[in-house]
Amino acid sequence: MKDPFIIFWAVMLFASIVWYAFLVVYIGIKAGRELRTLIRDLSAQVKAADAARK
Amino acid sequence: MTLTLLDWIIIAVYVFACMAAGLWMRRYLRDVEDFTIAGREVHTNLAIASLAATEFGLVTVMYTAQLGYEKGFAGATIGVIMAAAFLLVGYTGFVIQPLRNAGVLTIPELFEKRFSKRVRWLAGVFVALGGLLNMGIFLRLGGDFFVYATGMPPSWLEPVMTILLGLLVLYTVFGGMLSVLVTDYLQFIVMGLGIVVTSVLVIWKTGWGDIIGTLQAAWAGTGPTKLAADPFNPFHPSSFGWGYIVWQVIFQIAVVTTWQTTITRVLATKDSATAKRMYRRTSFYFVGRFLLPGLWGVAAFVWFSQHGGLPADLNSSTAMPHFLGRLLPVGLLGLVVAAMIAAEMTTISGYMLTWATVIYNDIIMPCLKKPLSKKGQLLLTRVILFGIAIFLLFYGLWYKMPGNAWDYLAVTGNIYLASVFTLLVAGLYWPRANCYGAYAALILGAVGPLTFLVVNACVTKEQQIAPEIAGAASFGLAFLGMILGSLLTTAPAKTAAPAANPA
Repeated sequence: MKDPFIIFWAVMLFASIVWYAFLVVYIGIKAGRELRTLIRDLSAQVKAADAARK
Repeated sequence: MTLTLLDWIIIAVYVFACMAAGLWMRRYLRDVEDFTIAGREVHTNLAIASLAATEFGLVTVMYTAQLGYEKGFAGATIGVIMAAAFLLVGYTGFVIQPLRNAGVLTIPELFEKRFSKRVRWLAGVFVALGGLLNMGIFLRLGGDFFVYATGMPPSWLEPVMTILLGLLVLYTVFGGMLSVLVTDYLQFIVMGLGIVVTSVLVIWKTGWGDIIGTLQAAWAGTGPTKLAADPFNPFHPSSFGWGYIVWQVIFQIAVVTTWQTTITRVLATKDSATAKRMYRRTSFYFVGRFLLPGLWGVAAFVWFSQHGGLPADLNSSTAMPHFLGRLLPVGLLGLVVAAMIAAEMTTISGYMLTWATVIYNDIIMPCLKKPLSKKGQLLLTRVILFGIAIFLLFYGLWYKMPGNAWDYLAVTGNIYLASVFTLLVAGLYWPRANCYGAYAALILGAVGPLTFLVVNACVTKEQQIAPEIAGAASFGLAFLGMILGSLLTTAPAKTAAPAANPA
């Protein structure tokens, strides 16, 4: 394990696992909220367009 | 068959949820801008989830695992270079900031503003050609994963590929980018979970000490199986070597600033600051994109060398799914296969949408004398999507790759990356660049990769052109073409300012 390349890949690998686990939770929650807002905005725009046509 | 009833239930529930969510988004579609870039309403975190899901396909898992199997951890060097490129562009805004500010739908559209309509059309042809050839092997590699991980008979590969393609075409054709965003989000969650759990399990079951020890012994030639490349040092000539790495540095900067599927996310963001933030925050993700499936490939190598070597019916590409099929317990295998279906669906749907947008926006639209109605535009884009699906099915079935999957992907991507990257950089930052330089760059940039594809399909392995030679030559030729073409002809009029405002 003294090879600097092995140390480098070990650090990268375990950091990647931690980063992916964090991303799934953090981005999962935040992106979920943004998606809800996007759908709400789009829904409002569609309703407004329908109302304008009537 | 490796899968149990529980695994099948998990897969079926997931695929049904994805389809339902994708089709449900159809109601919010108004025009082509909604269909292709979600009306430019996407915020940072959703953009990150979408970019991450699209750029982490099953094809990625397959080629990175193959690199891990053949080159050990050094195979993930490309991911480190890619992450550095994302970070660099995310901080500087190089190319992406003026591109987003230009308010275009695709990169070739910018070329019309900066150079000419014909340059846009020719760039569109190269972008679509490179992109379609590039994604041509996605279905085959994905099908290989399913066959070897689930233990299906190999004769099922074609029907499985067709059904999978049919499902994702259905929701992409109807819902466009809005559907892709929702399914990307679901797939980001499932895929992320599957990748983390599988990676932990692979290390736990194989043992970190065993992985390192077996790789060292295989490289030293003292283990049961010999490894031809240094598994840790990418600069060693037996691994990538310096030439390949230098090519990859240029290639990855071109990828993050030019690759249309990535740029589609840049163009879908609210503003250039969001695009830059998305790049910075996604950057480290790309290390894991290569390293985690690479770990699975490395572990497959370790497992097979401890169990009598690789059987004759497997190769460096199919070893990993076969290994996972044996390693993962009931339920988790179902989750991982669902995650990989997720990866396959997001990538193919995202890519199909991107290339359909280019074909519609840059190849067909400039040739029409009368603009189409909104309904006509949507219908045309959907017909193109369907045509791409048919192409994928047939090309994926008959094409045999000359080397490993990553080299094929890098070189076909290079068909347009080299020339379009040159046009973008020159168009945005060099006022002297003109349309003659652009033509020369487009044509010369495609020569290297096309020669690689044709020559390597016809000659023996010893006579084949090295991918780094073909790739680096295409960048060199494209820049040379741009410089000479522009300097030897009339300078563009001073009023023809760059389309983008780099503010």
